[in-house]
Amino acid sequence: MTAKLLEFKSITKTFGGICALLNLSFHVDEGESLGLIGPNGAGKTTSFNLIMRELKQDKGEIYFKGHEISNFPTHERVKMGISRTYQIPRPFNEMTVTKNIRIGLMPDEILRVMNMNSDSKKEIDIAKNIGFSEKQRLVFPNELPMGDLRRLELARTIATNPKLLLLDEVFAGLTAGEITELSNLLKKKRVEDGLTYIIVSHDLKSLAPLVDRVVVVNFGEVIAEGAFEEVIADKHVKKAYLGT
Amino acid sequence: MNSLLELIPSIVNLGISMIIQVVLQGFLISGLYALIAVGFTLIFSVGRVMNLAYGIYIMLGGYTYYTLFQVLEFSKVISLLGAVMVGILFGIITYYGIVKRLLNNPIAVEISTLILAVVMQAVIILLFSPAPKAIWPIISGTTRVGDILVTWNIFFAMVTSWVVLGALLVFIKKTQLGRAIMAVSMDPKGALLSGVDPERINILVWGLSGALGALAGVFFASYTQLDPTMWVTPLITAVAVVIIGGVGSIIGSLVAAHIVGFMETITTTLIAPELRGVFTLILIILILVVLPKGLFGKAEL
Amino acid sequence: MVKQNYKNGGVLKKSIIWWLLFAVLMSSLPMAFSLGTLRIFIFANFIAIFAMSWDILSGYTGYVSFGQPFFIGIAGYASAILTSHYALPLYVSMPVAVVLTMVAGTLFFLPALRTKGTYFAMVTLAFMEVTYHLVQVVKPGITGGSRGITGLPLLVTGAVANYYLSFFSMLLVAICLLAIGKSGIGTVFDAIRMDEDAVKSSGLNTTKFKLFAFMLSASVAGIGGVLYTHYLGSISPRGMFDINFLFTILIAALIGGERSIIGPIIGAYFLTFLLELLRPYIPGSWRYLFYGMTALVVYNYFPKGLYTMITAAGDRIRSGMKRGEQYDSKAS
Repeated sequence: MTAKLLEFKSITKTFGGICALLNLSFHVDEGESLGLIGPNGAGKTTSFNLIMRELKQDKGEIYFKGHEISNFPTHERVKMGISRTYQIPRPFNEMTVTKNIRIGLMPDEILRVMNMNSDSKKEIDIAKNIGFSEKQRLVFPNELPMGDLRRLELARTIATNPKLLLLDEVFAGLTAGEITELSNLLKKKRVEDGLTYIIVSHDLKSLAPLVDRVVVVNFGEVIAEGAFEEVIADKHVKKAYLGT
Repeated sequence: MNSLLELIPSIVNLGISMIIQVVLQGFLISGLYALIAVGFTLIFSVGRVMNLAYGIYIMLGGYTYYTLFQVLEFSKVISLLGAVMVGILFGIITYYGIVKRLLNNPIAVEISTLILAVVMQAVIILLFSPAPKAIWPIISGTTRVGDILVTWNIFFAMVTSWVVLGALLVFIKKTQLGRAIMAVSMDPKGALLSGVDPERINILVWGLSGALGALAGVFFASYTQLDPTMWVTPLITAVAVVIIGGVGSIIGSLVAAHIVGFMETITTTLIAPELRGVFTLILIILILVVLPKGLFGKAEL
Repeated sequence: MVKQNYKNGGVLKKSIIWWLLFAVLMSSLPMAFSLGTLRIFIFANFIAIFAMSWDILSGYTGYVSFGQPFFIGIAGYASAILTSHYALPLYVSMPVAVVLTMVAGTLFFLPALRTKGTYFAMVTLAFMEVTYHLVQVVKPGITGGSRGITGLPLLVTGAVANYYLSFFSMLLVAICLLAIGKSGIGTVFDAIRMDEDAVKSSGLNTTKFKLFAFMLSASVAGIGGVLYTHYLGSISPRGMFDINFLFTILIAALIGGERSIIGPIIGAYFLTFLLELLRPYIPGSWRYLFYGMTALVVYNYFPKGLYTMITAAGDRIRSGMKRGEQYDSKAS
């Protein structure tokens, strides 16, 4: 049996009076690609925020590689091997593409960081691997189309050398062509780097070929789990998405 | 400063009436501090910016009252109203002149409001001379209840504070406009989506902040003195209350104001008057280490 | 934004040449100017040091600090007390004072650094205020109370010697801070300013880096503080823990151009000489008003500062000369 890479165990999170997650549990195995889907406000992005410690859960535990990580701050979790992209890309606006990637490459040590200020081979390799041309590498984020911005996010997360990648609405705002490109890139990187994915997406059609298994969340609880086709056909899931 | 051990006999010696005096004085000061703090918190919660020119509203309130009452010899009521109007005006000027133009840049707002404060300090020096001036107490005289001395002026300040803050609380909870303000403070995007007009809210809040500051300023000036650098200390008090009490809660500000007020009163009466700010500062650091959201904070900033 | 073109060794050599020329030019000033003018330069040099110390923290990371007077004053007072009251020699009191300042700074400001920038600024301001009162009240026998301490030992005597001391100190500070700013550390600082949470999500402990920036800022301010105090030969609460002093430093950095290290130098010189120029025409009480209005205008309309204006103009001239050639001025 493959090891559970991440286990999200009985997590409850409330905001003021609103219960975002209620006793939510799911896990992802090493090397797996898990889809996390559900209607708006179901608690998917909140789950990511909790995994990354951008928020703290009220109850429940989070295990990564078998260790309980609830007390680790964000940067420690990233160093352990979890990385995420954001629903709305957050590049460093006053830095070029390569420099953006450089931040992801930087070690958490002052002395080592001091030496890192010219275009290193590694950051160029990552940029090339993700598909940025030489000219594109010198470009600033505000000149990039959405597809490239998402690829930049991906490049930055790859730079942190992750085992688990949390992808939040990666396909939002992309053209069909960009979706295909990104999809292929994700498949490629998964094999190349041995990554594990948790993917949140509203675009179920694009999500389907990328995931092995799917967890459906609604109102902060898991309502279905299993292979994509089974889950989609489940009547509870249909009701959650479409009303009755 | 005497060692802490030497403090104990002096406390014992002072007896019950001194303790009551300290408690009373604590409440009186805290009332004023609450008024000062709420004006500042309003901007911080709703506008999400640190208005370093807030202390200026306090200073302008004091100087306006002085000019209207002691120089031009209008009545106290008119002078108070005049001070409040100047406060409102200046609050709105700050909003339009600085904040609105630098909407996405809180750093620039901080710096610009500081520059504005120093400019206003220079203006006051030009108009009034750098020498400190005294404001006659709004209500003069004292009264004695047994051994305990009550200064009417500061008592009036406290009562006014409570009345104004009470009215503010009612306004926030019971009127639609007030609830809109709370909504913006909790979730600006959500409020926008619910149809709240941000422009109206901002004008209201900045004007209100100016008004509260100016009113507090009149009392503050009568309690201490008028001088062109008087805007710094109350600003720091307001910030202390925000840090200790947390953002987004008027009750939190009230409680924190009392904590700060009592700490200062105890320090001033029992230890040394000049060390007044020190324990507040220590408390700020403690809170930042232990409970960065503040005692009643709803959001970590 | 500063051009970072160190890929090209030729550009690095060009900078060194500029710095050398600058140093040679400034070294020759005592031959051309009167002692009185030299003293103005000395003051400008010190303000430049203080403004640079602000810039490496606030200009780069975006954590606005009002703490420079605190560090300058604490360091100055520490050294003043050690020399006047404990009769320690300068080569002991000065380093001790700087170390003390860094320790005190870390102790007091670390909690504020861990939170977001808005509280930090106010905590630094609060410290300045409180220290102003404390210094007058606690052990006035040692601190000199409200009057301060006079008759302190001087590091060097005479306007010319002090001029060289202040100038080369300023130069040293500038080169060190510039080197740090252009290194990977500067990149992290910039990133923190742009989006601190994203930096955390990239696996970096932002508190650690902020603390580093802070220590740089505090130590440079402290070094400047001890040098300044032993140039003046005296120290007083009003001279150190003063809003106007803070204001001067801040404005110098802002007008000159934040996040550049060089900008604060330009700003310091510009401000100091502007004020000297206007001194006969503007009576004392109007000075700060004028000062403040200039600051407000410059900061709002030329927020990038004089340095950026100068480099931008330089770029335009150069690109004009290279017309027809592909020239991307937004490099790196």
